[in-house]
Amino acid sequence: MSSETKQILTTDGIPLEISLKKAERKNKIKAFLLVAPLLLFLIITYIFPIGEMFTRSIDDKMITNMLPKTFKSMETWDGKELPSEEVFASFLSDFKILVEKKEHGKLAQRLNKEKNGFNTITKKLFRQVKRNKIDETQSIKEQIMKVHKRWRNVEYWQAIKRTAPPYTSAKYLKAMDMYLNEDNKITQVSEDRRIHRILWLRTVEVAFFVTVFCFLMGYPIAHLLATLPMKYSNLLMICVLLPFWTSLLVRTASWMILLQQQGVVNDFFVLIGLVSDDNRPEMMYNKVGTYVAMTQILLPFMVLPLYSVMKTISPSLMRAGKSLGGTPFVAFWKVYFPLTIPGIGAGCLLVFILAIGYYITPALVGGASGTLISNQIAYHMKTTLDWSFASAMGLMLLGGVLVIYWLYNKLVGVDNIKLG
Amino acid sequence: MKKLSKLLLALSFALSITSSAFAVTVASWGGAYTESQKLGYGDPTAQALGVDINWVDYSGGLSEIKAQKEAGAITWDIIDVFAFDTINGCDEGIFVEFDFDKDFPAAPDGTPASEDFFAPMPSKCAVGNILYSWNYAYNVNNVDGTPSTIKDFFNTKKFPGKRAIYKSALTNLEIALAGDGVYMGKGGSEIYKLLETEAGVNRAMNKIKELCTDPNGGCVFWSAGAQPPELLVSGEVVMATGWNGRFFNAEIGEGAPIKQVWDGQGLDYEYFALVKGGPDEANAKKALAMMTNTEMLAGSAKYIAYAPYRLSSLEIIKANEPWYKDGKTEMMPQMPTAPSNTKKYFLVDPFFWADNGTELGEKWEAMKAGL
Repeated sequence: MSSETKQILTTDGIPLEISLKKAERKNKIKAFLLVAPLLLFLIITYIFPIGEMFTRSIDDKMITNMLPKTFKSMETWDGKELPSEEVFASFLSDFKILVEKKEHGKLAQRLNKEKNGFNTITKKLFRQVKRNKIDETQSIKEQIMKVHKRWRNVEYWQAIKRTAPPYTSAKYLKAMDMYLNEDNKITQVSEDRRIHRILWLRTVEVAFFVTVFCFLMGYPIAHLLATLPMKYSNLLMICVLLPFWTSLLVRTASWMILLQQQGVVNDFFVLIGLVSDDNRPEMMYNKVGTYVAMTQILLPFMVLPLYSVMKTISPSLMRAGKSLGGTPFVAFWKVYFPLTIPGIGAGCLLVFILAIGYYITPALVGGASGTLISNQIAYHMKTTLDWSFASAMGLMLLGGVLVIYWLYNKLVGVDNIKLG
Repeated sequence: MKKLSKLLLALSFALSITSSAFAVTVASWGGAYTESQKLGYGDPTAQALGVDINWVDYSGGLSEIKAQKEAGAITWDIIDVFAFDTINGCDEGIFVEFDFDKDFPAAPDGTPASEDFFAPMPSKCAVGNILYSWNYAYNVNNVDGTPSTIKDFFNTKKFPGKRAIYKSALTNLEIALAGDGVYMGKGGSEIYKLLETEAGVNRAMNKIKELCTDPNGGCVFWSAGAQPPELLVSGEVVMATGWNGRFFNAEIGEGAPIKQVWDGQGLDYEYFALVKGGPDEANAKKALAMMTNTEMLAGSAKYIAYAPYRLSSLEIIKANEPWYKDGKTEMMPQMPTAPSNTKKYFLVDPFFWADNGTELGEKWEAMKAGL
């Protein structure tokens, strides 16, 4: 027999293998075209903005290009004491170019983000330069130092040096209350300014407890919804969904009216003699208020996935469990509960992720503890216009959520999540 | 990547631009304030110039206009901004610089615009609109006696009960020092001198901390302007700092049992800024000049208790009392700039806050976290 295997040909003489591949490729292209709109949508609305945020958070080229001579002459400066005449002179020459281009304001803004106080002294220097008050035949160092006392402070020159690299991790360090000092060592900021770590912890704490409370309250409701006859469960469903259709601010404000010290709930407690009039408990403008309001607002996100999973569990399973000798609790724990885990996973992840980015409600009802990391992001977006810092914190928040997702995958398995 | 992002941003703004073509668009804070602007000078100016003026609401800050500018699709012509923002916006090249005497009309008696303003502008990109006050008010039913000084706000022995204060450091530090008996100086200059020092900041923070941890006192932090009057009326707090226009509205407009105290008040400003390269910059400039002239500015005070930035506007109000829209309330005593209200006050210093806002904000939050 011949060792050659004969190629199988199709009717038009093309080898079958190639013909098949061709057909398959067509299908693949068709399939790809079908998902292309979604893919494009994801790239445009998700991947791309995140990439943009990332470049923003590390890109510091603007100032590197603004002060080229200054940074060059600073290379040999050890950053311990005031820099030499040469550094001052090159700073002035860089600054003069910026003044000509009308970009000195941008420099002031950028430097003020690095260290507060630059705004005024840069503007004072600008006025001196504009009036040609600085005599370049004299010591420039002496003259700049005379403009404002902060120019005599080495910390401000150290701050300038810190902005030299075109790419920087400084924003990420700042979000952890740290910075790179003049010896390139990671250092903590002074104690009375260490606020970001407190805010991160507080944010996670609030999100965690809100998730727990949502679970504790949502589970029985979802169970009731899934087991009641249709006509009652529909009514109950509307009650669960109603908050969805009410404005967030209205709901928050209602809780304020209900729970404040002179509020409806406290009035009722006093009326029935539970507490005395001058000893009303504080349930608003503290963490209690935050937990209550946020739990109510996020509850539907827990109930709905739980409900849709519970709806698919046949009631006969519990009966079977009991008929096999289990007490109601054992039957619930061994049979029903494990079957609801996919819903629990979905609900908890949903609530946690939503809660971690919440900030309007806590700001209104949380009192002294009402500031969360998202408030800080909004502050830098809107007020200081430090978008790179805001981006860095936003990405860290996203990273945190991804870590939780990963942990969940390790512990429970993501394919276990079910929304319905 | 940069280009694509611009395109995206431009696309999103293109949708909103269609509604504002061939009209001047002014972004302001909304609510009763924008209403007063629209009725007081917006509509009359639109009528006189034959140009539509659209009012859109925004929540403050420069992030939106910066995004519009980066996208190359600016939809706003004029923005109602804080002093702080005019400084930043000027530095970032977002706003048009003015030549005040050339760009804005003189007062009726011929005083040039720059001398008719209550105070000099914080930047070349700002034209004054109103002055408002960070003062405090109390609920007359829940306080024994009459608080009359800023020290009384911190005096929990004489006036026990919780206080409501603003959620961030802005003006709280100034008020704290004034309440601690610091000599304020002209327009609060001494207070700001003290706040430039670490000791001054600590002193102010401690004063607030003392008030908030005092068992006879305690603090509620407010974040929305509507909260202080509400907190007072519901009895949740006995005294609250807030914006005088809101207190006025509750007291006169709605007859709530609250009373304002002007001692140690912080005078703050609100400005208009003209966006560089806005959709209709030429008309916007004309409209802005008209809206901020003597008569027009006086018009807004008919609807809200904020003082016109021009001194000559006050003369109009004085000559035509009762000026308030109800036809019986005299507006002059309600103005933050009235002589009886400015015996002891500080001018909120935008330069100080532009310089130190972030760091003081961090310290403030750290202090709050320790409460």
